[in-house]
Amino acid sequence: MANAKEMKDVLFGPVFANNPIALQVLGVCSALAVTSSLKNALIMSIALTVVTAFSSLFISMIRNHIPSSVRIIVQMTIIASLVIVVDQVLQAVVYTTAKELSTFIGLIITNCIVMGRAEAYAMKSPPTMSFLDGIGNGLGYSVVLLTVGFVRELFGSGTLFGAEILPLVSDGGWYRPMGLLIMPFSSFFLVGIFIWILRTYKKDQVEAKA
Amino acid sequence: MSSNNESIGKTLGVVIGLCLVCAVVVSAASVQLRPLQQANKIEDVQRNILAAAGFNDVTDVKATFGTNIESRVINMKTGDFVDVDPMSFDFEMTKFDDTRSIALSKADDIAGVQRMTNNSPVYLSKDENGNVASVILPIQGYGLWGVMFGFLALDSDGQTINAIQFYKHNETAGLGGEIQNPKWTATWAGKSLPIDIVKGTSGGDVNKVDGLSGATLTSVGVDNTIDFWTGNTGFGPFLAKVRKGALN
Repeated sequence: MANAKEMKDVLFGPVFANNPIALQVLGVCSALAVTSSLKNALIMSIALTVVTAFSSLFISMIRNHIPSSVRIIVQMTIIASLVIVVDQVLQAVVYTTAKELSTFIGLIITNCIVMGRAEAYAMKSPPTMSFLDGIGNGLGYSVVLLTVGFVRELFGSGTLFGAEILPLVSDGGWYRPMGLLIMPFSSFFLVGIFIWILRTYKKDQVEAKA
Repeated sequence: MSSNNESIGKTLGVVIGLCLVCAVVVSAASVQLRPLQQANKIEDVQRNILAAAGFNDVTDVKATFGTNIESRVINMKTGDFVDVDPMSFDFEMTKFDDTRSIALSKADDIAGVQRMTNNSPVYLSKDENGNVASVILPIQGYGLWGVMFGFLALDSDGQTINAIQFYKHNETAGLGGEIQNPKWTATWAGKSLPIDIVKGTSGGDVNKVDGLSGATLTSVGVDNTIDFWTGNTGFGPFLAKVRKGALN
């Protein structure tokens, strides 16, 4: 059984030291698409964390019985089933947000983070550690999504979680929103800046020059 | 332990077993959560009807809808009210039922709805004195990428537009998606049928609405949708009766 330090590393390592988006540059697509509001980013983060954690757990539980010839299909089946369940739950609980996120929830199936952790970690590790690894990577993804969502919603729409922070000119306030931040591609800049800041502090993440 | 994992029997066993487990889990979730999802869907539609009637940011949708909105079903051909429970009316199901809908000819079907139901729900929004303040008609039509669903709220004269509200569409965000922009829909208030969506500025013309820049095809789609639903194949017969004062 793994000791406490190892568990801590697995759980919190992916947040900054080995962030799935910033270092491994996985799952960027959904980070661009759903971050125009903080609420959507939060729901998406929770959905992805749940799917990654449980898919890693289940895959790890049956890892010694998965024939290697069909292992990707087996992983996909588990992931896809979990995504459908999560989608159904969201539609039942937070209907309006689920409607806005609709296709992106479905696309968690193809999110490289989930597949990546299943193939790279869960296939070789015991269930508890795989579960923690899934949560850890979900947290790493969430940190980036929430940061980007925070900046985009605050400066793009002048609100946070839909509550007005910077009164807009169009509503009689003083803040003129940055229209650029509403558009999905602005997340490229924000994710880029996030990686830049992270690598300024953690020099070991900088790739060696060819 | 994993030495015979690669045999055909084991592979098939694992795959079939996994599929069975996953199928059960997915079906169970779907069946268990369906009532909640249905309730959410109805509430979402009611919220949009309320928004079209001018009730924004409603907290208790069900109660507000119950006190302010009267749901009725009309016969599309005659424009008369018929005695059908509006809650049981499912447009999508009815649309594909030959006994309750008809296919439209290409010439009639300018909004791309393909089939027309014999009956349709309409929603009457009442003011404090119980008089009809708006007649809210469900509309749908093809935009650029897919069908746009919405509500058109007309004044009780059957002629003046109070509001237009789209709640489901696949138009491009930022361009055609602006059909949901409150600033644009606000320009519809006070306009009068028939509506023409024009490029540039409509000036003060009550029959013209500014088109959305960068979304010509969506604007054309909206234009056709309005023409279709207020025309003779759509709510035309009903609106003719409303104009004669059938509601007051």
